[in-house]
Amino acid sequence: MTASPSGWETVIGLETHVQLSTRTKMFCGCSAAFGDPPNTNVCPVCLGLPGALPVPNEQALKLALRGALALQCTVHARSVFARKNYFYPDLPKGYQISQFEEPLATGGTLGFFSPERGFVMASIVRLHVEEDAGKSLHDRYPRTTAVDLNRSGVPLVEIVTGPDFRSPGEARAYLLELKHLLEYARISDCDLEKGSLRVDANVSVRRTAGDPLGTKTEVKNINSFAFVEKALGLERDRQIAELEGGRPIVQATMLYDSKANAVRHQRTKEHSHDYRYFPDPDLPPLVLPAEWIDEQRATLPELPAAKRERFVAQYGLPRQDAAVLTHTRAVADYYEGVVHAGADPKPAANWVMGEALADAKDHHDTLRVPAATLAELIALVKGGTLSHQAAKKVFGEIAAKGGDPRVIAEALGLIQVADAGALSAWVDQALAASPAEVSRYRAGETKLLAFFVGQVMKASRGKADPKLIPAVLQEKLSR
Amino acid sequence: MSDAVAGARSAADRISKLRRLNAVLTKQTELRKALVAQADAARPTGVLYGMPVAVKANICTLEFQTSCGSRILEDYRSPYDATAVARLKEAGALIAGATNCDEFAMGSSTEHSAFGRTIHPIDKTRVPGGSSGGSAALVAAGAVPAALGSETGGSVRQPASFCGVVGIKPTYGRVSRYGLVAFGSSLDQIGVFGRSVHDAARVLSVISGRDPRDNTCEDRDPLRLPTVPENLDGFVIGVPKEYFPPDLDPGVRRACDRAIRILRELGAAVREVSLPHTPYAVPTYYIIAPAEASSNLARFDGVRYGVRAEGPLPDVRALYRETRGAGFGAEVRRRILIGTYVLSSGYYDAYYRKAQQVRALIAQDFRNVFDRGVDLLFTPTTPTPAFKAGAKLADPVQMYLSDIFVCTANLAGLPALSLPIGRVKGLPIGGQLMGPHFLEDEMLEAAYALERAVPATEEA
Amino acid sequence: MSVSSEEVLRIAQLAELHVDEESLPELVAQMSRILDYVAQLRAVGPAEHVKPFIPGPDTIRFRPDEVNPWPLAFGPDKMAPAFKGGFFLVPRLGAFGDEGEAGEEA
Repeated sequence: MTASPSGWETVIGLETHVQLSTRTKMFCGCSAAFGDPPNTNVCPVCLGLPGALPVPNEQALKLALRGALALQCTVHARSVFARKNYFYPDLPKGYQISQFEEPLATGGTLGFFSPERGFVMASIVRLHVEEDAGKSLHDRYPRTTAVDLNRSGVPLVEIVTGPDFRSPGEARAYLLELKHLLEYARISDCDLEKGSLRVDANVSVRRTAGDPLGTKTEVKNINSFAFVEKALGLERDRQIAELEGGRPIVQATMLYDSKANAVRHQRTKEHSHDYRYFPDPDLPPLVLPAEWIDEQRATLPELPAAKRERFVAQYGLPRQDAAVLTHTRAVADYYEGVVHAGADPKPAANWVMGEALADAKDHHDTLRVPAATLAELIALVKGGTLSHQAAKKVFGEIAAKGGDPRVIAEALGLIQVADAGALSAWVDQALAASPAEVSRYRAGETKLLAFFVGQVMKASRGKADPKLIPAVLQEKLSR
Repeated sequence: MSDAVAGARSAADRISKLRRLNAVLTKQTELRKALVAQADAARPTGVLYGMPVAVKANICTLEFQTSCGSRILEDYRSPYDATAVARLKEAGALIAGATNCDEFAMGSSTEHSAFGRTIHPIDKTRVPGGSSGGSAALVAAGAVPAALGSETGGSVRQPASFCGVVGIKPTYGRVSRYGLVAFGSSLDQIGVFGRSVHDAARVLSVISGRDPRDNTCEDRDPLRLPTVPENLDGFVIGVPKEYFPPDLDPGVRRACDRAIRILRELGAAVREVSLPHTPYAVPTYYIIAPAEASSNLARFDGVRYGVRAEGPLPDVRALYRETRGAGFGAEVRRRILIGTYVLSSGYYDAYYRKAQQVRALIAQDFRNVFDRGVDLLFTPTTPTPAFKAGAKLADPVQMYLSDIFVCTANLAGLPALSLPIGRVKGLPIGGQLMGPHFLEDEMLEAAYALERAVPATEEA
Repeated sequence: MSVSSEEVLRIAQLAELHVDEESLPELVAQMSRILDYVAQLRAVGPAEHVKPFIPGPDTIRFRPDEVNPWPLAFGPDKMAPAFKGGFFLVPRLGAFGDEGEAGEEA
């Protein structure tokens, strides 16, 4: 699905709009919260009332700066807000305050793993700050568009790549990496479905890598990571079909229709794209104080790629496991919490990737068992007090109700027995119950040892320490 | 009944008697009621307690409709007060109605108001100037001691000159623009009309000062008023030759010569200076102001407030076009189109970017002069006294040329003031002072002194 | 004529201003007149050595990220020409198509 049909190279560039995690909007003190009743988080500024003026949000600019640093950009201490002029019902001023000739940052990179080419560095051409528009609902009332301006003015950064991706799969991989990065740096929650991360793609095809770039189309309305691959694949296929049919590609905006799994032309806007950018006269130049740049650099957390590599080196984990464990900052911190509480890195990794994440998936991504508690549980298994199976049961109990691992294990009667006498009795019981198998074993079918271990476990109702059973069995069977 | 309420009633009476001027857009009954209610609530300790101050219709007040002289905002009520208005109220002043103006402040005669022109207080066949003609006429006719106007290209000083009152434009960034309906954002400032320099200056002081709601407002304390000086010893006043062209109206020239002589008599040193890029000021202004206006007026689309086109509309684009096409007058439409053109792809560099460069040269001209020991500049405010209604409507450029002496201060962000310096064939004429950024106090000192000495109502 | 009828119509569309056929010739004439007048700036030489002029403060002053909206004496419902269910209403987009720039389908 992701590989290009032979004879064509796909070229994709991505523009992402990311909502910054601030309390208030970019240019006014209204709440930027998602989900409030329509048109309740509004004021003269974000309503575009006559006489209102923008006043920039300090935190939004710090987060944008942090994003630029995390993407290894050149930060321009002096940048300029510009007006992007166009008419749309959810754009109250008839222009969007954005940045044009002098953006906040340029020239960054983000590495990611391509499904086809290994490690690739995407180029971040620019990162700039702007305000969001409101929401237009076209289907709420017949023949009417309903406009909610709660979102109007929410802070965004726009991150633009070069034409760096060679497949829909690469585009998706980059976006996931970008999401991790921005989430790690606590800039945004990057939720494609909630709209705090939005993607527009530019797609073109050409015969070979050396050829000039083909005419590109823009693909919009991609609302999930899965749809990224689907939509871009469809557009690539559509372009190839056109060109192979002798028809040139016409520059257009395509919308992805997830219900039909198709891309269709947006009805072309007349005279689109003459935005008549000019520096916003309501805002002096943006000059980032040097202290901010130093502060953001110093407080930038360890970023996903670096953390992944450190996990591989420090904990001896395979890269695959390190990737899973650094998938989110919360999981990475949790894992390290378990290790720092005394657990060995490898069993800790297995438990976190296994039980902990499975449980979290069903419980709103909450890691319900505290890290220190999980470390204790792992120690009980290591010390032979609990079998792995038993420990899983205990884990489930703690996740649901909390508590101390040993106490719960005892209450559930799961403490493994290592007592030689008890063990001996269970082994005798098991052997007595299966005389035919005993004969076969003694005749040479030594594989049956595993069968006997199972029987001993049954006889002991799981309490016997399975590590000790083989020795006792062998000793008795060899008599 | 308190003094303020009595004062409010008198002001309402006076304004009512001047209905024929069409200076005030607010209905008389509504205005009277609002004045009395405000007088009741006014703070007696405020420095402007009980002073009725009229406010141009493009400045937001909770009391009155902010129509901006336009059909598109005909019944629009602002849900907030402009900062300048809030400060007037805090100082105990009474907001005395919304005054007539050229639509969205675009004009130099108040003839482009959608609600009829304002009549010159002395000669009913003439214009009071614009765009703040209503405020100027009301103050000139004695109805209120002071009024707010707005300046983008001289729209307070020019009508002040025509009507024979004082008009002050502060330094850009001295007074908050929050609540001033934007026309040319990098040029706009709220200005003040007064019967005297003192009245205008008092009001300016109250409305000035830092405002967190306006990022273009400087972080400064409110303006402190200077004392009236005994003389102008030590002042160096420059007279820029570009403002005294050979074809200047002889009456205006005589009035200015007299004022300059008086300045010398007061002790100032007067010398000729040059501001070489002056001839380019009007074309520069008429690129930058319409460009910013075309963007600022995009919000008037019938979606969230104001007037909306009637009847069944096929889609929202039709809504925009019908609403804006019908709601905006001819001058506003022209300026929006010019502004859109000069910002559009292919023309931006030749027009808008070029105009910003010339603007920098104009600002540099002033810096050069002020850096060489000149404290203030003196010029005529307008090339002629008030012209006849209808005289300049045929050719838009003719109307623009009446701003020739005033628009430079807006381009350079400088404080400037017009005060009456004489009569020409019975009509008032103003003299202009311009000063360096944020040195209003020196400008006011010179104005006080000149005002005291100049025979403002005498033929020049 | 420094600007043509077609250009004026194109500009009018960008500015979402309806211009009727009757007034078009006069409008074109007036705009040409104005544009010819302002074009005299071409005579001014290049200004590389002059500092760009920014009126007002040199840099932006920031606002703390605290919820503190500037007050509204009354809400959108009181000022809107058409309002229902908490939303501003406009005739449904037809000629536009379904997408804005930063906005999108709900």
